[in-house]
Amino acid sequence: MNKSFLQKLKEFLKSWEMVLICILLAEFVVFGAANSKFLRPALLFNSMNDFMSICIISLFVTFVMITGGIDIQAGSIVGLTSIIIGVTWQDFGLNIWVAALLAVIVAALCGALSGFFVAYCGVQAMVVTLGGSFLYAGIALLVSNMASTASYQGISGFPDYFKILSKYKFFGVIPSQLIIFLILTVLAYILLHRTKYGRRIFLVGVNQKAAEYSGINSRLVIMSTYVLSAMSASVAGVVLTAYLGTAKSDLGSNFTLNIITAVVLGGTLSTGGKGNVVGTALASVVIGLLRFGLPLCFGVGTQYLDIPVGVLLLVVVVARSMGSHPTTANLIRKWKERGREA
Amino acid sequence: MKKLLKSREISSFLFLVALFLIVGIINPNFLTSSNIVACFNDSVVYIIVSVGMAFAIFIGEIDVSVGANLGFTATVVSCMLRDGQNWLLAFAVGIIIGALMGLFNGWGVAIMGVPSLIFTLGTNGVMRGMMYVYTGGAWVENLPAEFKKLYTNTLVGSISVNLTLTVLAVIAIHLLLKKTKRGRYFIAVGDNPAGAAMVGIPATQTKVAAYVICGVLAAISGIVFSSRIGFVTATSGSGYEMKAVAACVLGGISLSGGVGSVIGASIGAVIMASISRLLVFMELGSTYDNTITGILLITIVVADSLMQRNTAEKNRRQRLAARTLSGDKAKIGGGDHE
Amino acid sequence: MPEKALLNIKNIYKSFGMNAVLKGISLDLNEGEVLALIGGNGAGKSTLMKIIMGIYQHDKGEIFVRGEKVTSNKTSAALASGIYMVPQEPMLFPNMTVEENIVIGFEKKGSELHKELTELMTAVGWKLDLSRKAGSLSIAEQQMVEILRGLLRHAQILILDEPTSALTFDEVESLFRSVNELRAKGIGIIYITHRLTEVFEIATHVAIMRDGKIPVRGLVTEFTREMLVKGLLPPDAQEKEDTLKEQMKAIDYEHSRPVFELQKFSGYGFTDISLKVYQGEILGLAGVVGAGRTELATTVFGRDKVLGGKAYLEGRDITGLSTRQVIAAGLNYVPEDRHYHGLFKISDIAANTSSAMLGEKTMGRFLLNRKEEYRLTQKYVDDFRTKITGQAQLAGSLSGGNQQKVVIGRSLSTSPKLVILDEPTRGIDAAARGDVYSIIHELRNRGLSILLISSDMEEIIELSDRVMTVCQGRINGEFTGEDINQDKLMAASFGITEKKEAGA
Repeated sequence: MNKSFLQKLKEFLKSWEMVLICILLAEFVVFGAANSKFLRPALLFNSMNDFMSICIISLFVTFVMITGGIDIQAGSIVGLTSIIIGVTWQDFGLNIWVAALLAVIVAALCGALSGFFVAYCGVQAMVVTLGGSFLYAGIALLVSNMASTASYQGISGFPDYFKILSKYKFFGVIPSQLIIFLILTVLAYILLHRTKYGRRIFLVGVNQKAAEYSGINSRLVIMSTYVLSAMSASVAGVVLTAYLGTAKSDLGSNFTLNIITAVVLGGTLSTGGKGNVVGTALASVVIGLLRFGLPLCFGVGTQYLDIPVGVLLLVVVVARSMGSHPTTANLIRKWKERGREA
Repeated sequence: MKKLLKSREISSFLFLVALFLIVGIINPNFLTSSNIVACFNDSVVYIIVSVGMAFAIFIGEIDVSVGANLGFTATVVSCMLRDGQNWLLAFAVGIIIGALMGLFNGWGVAIMGVPSLIFTLGTNGVMRGMMYVYTGGAWVENLPAEFKKLYTNTLVGSISVNLTLTVLAVIAIHLLLKKTKRGRYFIAVGDNPAGAAMVGIPATQTKVAAYVICGVLAAISGIVFSSRIGFVTATSGSGYEMKAVAACVLGGISLSGGVGSVIGASIGAVIMASISRLLVFMELGSTYDNTITGILLITIVVADSLMQRNTAEKNRRQRLAARTLSGDKAKIGGGDHE
Repeated sequence: MPEKALLNIKNIYKSFGMNAVLKGISLDLNEGEVLALIGGNGAGKSTLMKIIMGIYQHDKGEIFVRGEKVTSNKTSAALASGIYMVPQEPMLFPNMTVEENIVIGFEKKGSELHKELTELMTAVGWKLDLSRKAGSLSIAEQQMVEILRGLLRHAQILILDEPTSALTFDEVESLFRSVNELRAKGIGIIYITHRLTEVFEIATHVAIMRDGKIPVRGLVTEFTREMLVKGLLPPDAQEKEDTLKEQMKAIDYEHSRPVFELQKFSGYGFTDISLKVYQGEILGLAGVVGAGRTELATTVFGRDKVLGGKAYLEGRDITGLSTRQVIAAGLNYVPEDRHYHGLFKISDIAANTSSAMLGEKTMGRFLLNRKEEYRLTQKYVDDFRTKITGQAQLAGSLSGGNQQKVVIGRSLSTSPKLVILDEPTRGIDAAARGDVYSIIHELRNRGLSILLISSDMEEIIELSDRVMTVCQGRINGEFTGEDINQDKLMAASFGITEKKEAGA
């Protein structure tokens, strides 16, 4: 509270977010040196369009993981949103914005359903959202069958005023998707770190029993995080549909690894109780740039990109558990002591 | 036989039978012996993966890298066969790859203590990428005809050799799990980790072993997969991890560990493998596949979890009630024995 | 001596960090003996047993099994040398059958084991369906399974840790029969218990454990119940009383009104509890762990189902309300298990203190009012002289005493009319204990009503205006004024009431 600015700065310099910023800078240096095209603003900003969905979803999956849960259904909700917009607009003649709103509401219900099973029935989050990923992807496919066009083609021909949502460029370079992401980051930050609701999320994640002894309705809090993450996936689905100009049911189906990696890399504890929206946002951009830079600068095929992301995830989780592992903790202590003696 | 099949497996089996009957009533064309045998023949890959997954779930963990493991081994083995390498060598390489992946997962989960879902999600991504690296994204085709024939060879009638071998292997694994000292450890570690330590069971070793077995079985299923399909693509095997989990749950294996059998997993695998065929006969088309899998999976885990919670709560209450003396017993317990 | 020595423990020491738990324990067990080990909570009984089982390693001292010195500290080695412990809560594999539970870990063939097992069961005369799932057994049956597990391993030394705490009367009978049969077979048994009556019924030898030492041991026949009760008390017990006590103003019960009242309140673990707590009064609820006191408190607090009766706070019916509503009505609870139910370890002190206040408008409508949170936290930090480096310090890094102050602060933040303190000084050092006591006194002087649950008789005596004892889920005594002394409270807590004392 009454810390000086200098102290705050010092703390920040030592924080994990600082490490992520350094990694980001390193990415710019390495990729920029390998291929100067990487540093061209137009290209760089344009590349962000390709991974903004992952960034947006990761922000709110952070909430879920802070409560100690996990959400692997978010990807399937992207596709569901997209196809609902397409079908209700094209085949049911709804206004495109009404269609988008409807899709977000459906997504919220999907999140609420999974959240209910996790919070009130005590089923492991992983299995429920695994089932959810099947179910919502399946429903998406069924919805796509209602369309007059073949599902592999997708539904296109959306009005320009919808596509502008993702196509508009502020000052001619900054894509509107980036602005949407920044707004959502600020929103998520306030919600998680500044409100009473956000505090409840943390307390439930740290010690659910103690939270209940403090009179917190922990089940409702847990369920609400799944609703939020599903809604964020839905917003990402709207943005992605507008950007691609095509509604397809299988959009987002391969997001899961990237989302989880972003959240974990962002500093969220996989056992819950600790996490940070800023960290997740930075980490998701780190991953995004990796997915952009590797193909551009080193000619790595886009299909290979799961390797670096997967390796990143493994390195982070193993390093973290090594830090807390008794033998390594001992080693580190001894090493420090030796350093002091010398 | 009664002892072999506990109620959980029987209810899964009855579910399978009911499923077949319902589809048969809707479309009588389905209930021919060839159709039903085909359902079983086509389940072999699923059965092998699911039995492997069952080991991971027995110990209370999960392995979502089996799909990539399957795909990667299928790729490597198929390439070797296509290039005319010795079959046995190819199979051995495949199995060793599977075992190493299992060992790596076991290290991360049991020794480093990383949550299993997150760790295996990572290895899944890495292996999926390695498939592209290995083939450059191209399909692996032109496998030797004799290799493809391995899958279609039949024994009696239309029952395939593969199915027979798989069924025998499952029974053998089941017996090993139930009858040997170390076999029982897998279930015990998942059932009550603290209690396992009290009777001197090596928990870490057992967990690593479970992951290695899971990896090896995923590799074997990869070999069978390439023999069945006849070619391998860069996405081969994706989604199998989810289906295997679903099969285990359908087969009565509890995701909290310590409950179920590999026979249950196999029955669950047959259900999972048959769904798309059943949907065709119900004239619904395969678009319902995911929806039905999702509904089945969620319904069963929710029911299972609620039942377990009820029993736990009942036990707790019984325990507490036992501590409380009721009126008349207070007299006897306190006075007469002094 | 005709007896053969099974277990000799010589001068065992064990500390956890700064906390010395065992301070020179010596104990002997011979064939055919039942050694009753009694002692209060925290006396170190379970630590000693875990050392014998090889779960913990002792710092100093020696253990001999059948004359041979124990060198390995592995559970499997202890099992191999014929020691088996039946834990208080049976640790079976609930999804395995009885037989699978018993034979797990053996190399031998299933059929051979089955034969051995059935022979064993006929030998001890027990009937158990071997194909039943362990999860469906009653607690007594589960304990039988645990004992069979030990016997099939040819255990010569059997440790029973409070085996009757979860048993009904008939089950206790059958357990005692089995213990006698085993003793006749030459097996040595260490029998840990809270119930003094059982000592005379089942044991051949008795040892009293107090504060990490065994001050008294010998043949049961050499002891009377009074001697055991005395042995459980610290030697300077009488002197310690009346220190803070005299400073307390007596409660004027005639003109005081009850703030909190329970009428025939029943739930899981307790029955028919009726009590009143008056304005500005500390009512002590004494008893051993497992007597149902914590269950009573948590049920009032909305954590478990009410089975019968009513609870009133200032005349308002609060029976069966949710925790949130109970807190809002003006009751708060400091949980027994600080780590499990109380503390948010990886959260900072401010978040811990304000956690129960999040429902209040003063903490902000939607955004969290950080200033108010800071003020609230600082108030309790100052009031309780909690030693912290700053409000941002994580609660888990505090010492036990300071952690407890944070948890008490959290419960007081909601300005309750009644606060239930459950074992408020468990696991904290003497200095912090003094601090907590003065906090409790201060609260009482401010007119707060307190229900104090404790197994520490000294604590009850020092703090309470009035004491009720709970034994096996029921209130079995009420004490005021002069009657509040260690002898009477201890006797009642262990289930020996005045009336029976006179009859015996």
